[in-house]
Amino acid sequence: MNLLDIRNLSIELIGDNQNILAVDKVSLSMKEGEVRGLVGESGSGKSLLAQAIVGVLNDKWHVHADRFHWRGIDLLRLSIEERKALLSRDIAMIFQEPMACLDPTTTIGDQLAEAIDASSLTGFFWQKQKQRHSAAIKLLHKVGIKSHSACLNSYPHQLTEALCQRVMIAIALARRPILLIADEPTAAMENTNQGQIFRLLSSLNQLKSMSILLISHDLENITHWTHTITVMYSGQFVEAGTTEQIFRKSLHPYTRALVNSSPSANFHLPAKSRLMTLPGSIPILQHLPIGCRLGPRCPRAQQACVKAPSVTNFHGHKVSCHFPLTPIKIQPKAVKGVC
Amino acid sequence: MAELLRVEELSKSYQQKGFWLQKQITTVLEPISFSIQAHKTLAIIGETGSGKSTLAKLLVGAEPASSGNIHLNGQVLRDGSYKQRCQHIRMIFQDSGTTLNPSLTILQLLDEPLKLNTPFNEKKRKELIRTTLQKVGLLGDHMNFYPHMFSGGQKQRISLARAIILQPQVIILDEALAALDPSLRSQMINLLLDLQQQMGLAYILISHNLGIIRHFSDDIMVLSQGKVVESGKTLDVMNKPQHKVTQKLLMSQNFQLKSKKI
Repeated sequence: MNLLDIRNLSIELIGDNQNILAVDKVSLSMKEGEVRGLVGESGSGKSLLAQAIVGVLNDKWHVHADRFHWRGIDLLRLSIEERKALLSRDIAMIFQEPMACLDPTTTIGDQLAEAIDASSLTGFFWQKQKQRHSAAIKLLHKVGIKSHSACLNSYPHQLTEALCQRVMIAIALARRPILLIADEPTAAMENTNQGQIFRLLSSLNQLKSMSILLISHDLENITHWTHTITVMYSGQFVEAGTTEQIFRKSLHPYTRALVNSSPSANFHLPAKSRLMTLPGSIPILQHLPIGCRLGPRCPRAQQACVKAPSVTNFHGHKVSCHFPLTPIKIQPKAVKGVC
Repeated sequence: MAELLRVEELSKSYQQKGFWLQKQITTVLEPISFSIQAHKTLAIIGETGSGKSTLAKLLVGAEPASSGNIHLNGQVLRDGSYKQRCQHIRMIFQDSGTTLNPSLTILQLLDEPLKLNTPFNEKKRKELIRTTLQKVGLLGDHMNFYPHMFSGGQKQRISLARAIILQPQVIILDEALAALDPSLRSQMINLLLDLQQQMGLAYILISHNLGIIRHFSDDIMVLSQGKVVESGKTLDVMNKPQHKVTQKLLMSQNFQLKSKKI
């Protein structure tokens, strides 16, 4: 059974003159214990999609979906309060820029204690206080912070970026979520720290079988850690499949361009040679092209591309393109979890 | 080929205020020496606090060096010689959006270094701005726009135009490619490589991304806590890292690359 099953989710920005379709009919499904990467360049609506799943978008955004199932429960039929109670119990999110998301006026200890589920505490109120404290320390140990007393008493600005990110993860883990949405957890972080955070997340995935939706703008950064990848461009669904499929046998011209444009993925290229790249830049929301939004930049665009393509499924490898790249052959399904 | 920029025993240390015997000296950058030739790229990597940004600041002259000297084309650059220095050594910053003055048009932005450093009249300057914008892949008419009208990649191109408009010999890229989206980043790399061939520029590239460094640079220098721990040809260092710090840095990205080799 799918953990999360979203079909044709659209997010519209209500404006004074016109409504802008920021996310256009994106489908996303996740299995239990899966690490799925959600990749897209800036303005592709990946963060919006994550926020829509958690339900933190304000009234300016209008979200519409054909299907939104969470562990078999149809969330669209529930009332808002029921949906919120269900989602806040099972889903946790790590936001971008940990420094900015923690409260600068409160110590880490207080913020952690606040996140701990009150129903897990027993006894009288003086006992509960103690339990809360020890639970906070346990959480810090879980994310690999050893000097817990120093960390609990400090304010966010006194910690480094990587430590703040660990605290954010600890807060997210406080309610033992089933799905963790990590929105660019390593943006503006050093490589050595990036590795630490990713290793922490993957160990949580393996030990607790927690599913992770890993959002990133850079394909090459996350390929090592994900089982499956969904690629988005400018609010439209591009391609989804296992990491191996996306990286080795990408069908969409955009995914192929992303893979080819990364210098670290192309070791065979001689140094200082030209990299393959798409012309032009990412369209802004006010001037979106009709049909397939990659159209003006796509090397394979033809007349049919003025209509948005429908999603085709090749053995679990979904692609949304009128003219996919390689001819499709029937191949044995790639083994999940290659890395 | 003659060397373009030669740095000898350059170092930087800060003195903390205090009484006579309690004066503390923090050394940010131990004395280092290196040289670059035209058409070449030197990459500098290291963790935060290893002194790579300090080195960049010393080279452009944003901060005075504690000791050592910088030779450009055989001439010594002194602390006061900003005119000579800013003509020949230019810098591109990480966040291009915030380094452009939002209240000036692109014409005014690019006009400023020309007014201060060249004897050209207004017509000639405008002509030069137009050709420079075309060189970096923008249109000449973009000069009447304000910075907020451009996207992130285009802003980075404008700061590149500001860097090359004085026909410099050395350009310092301080994490200039880190904040860009992948498809724009490869466009920018292509553009930088083209300009290097056309104008014979030397680049000093400060970056975290080893993939870009491997593709882009000829020589590499690894800094750790103000000291050069390893330097040499990029391919040699990447294939056979000798020092622990280099190995750690390579390791942290190597496992990202492993999955692609399967």
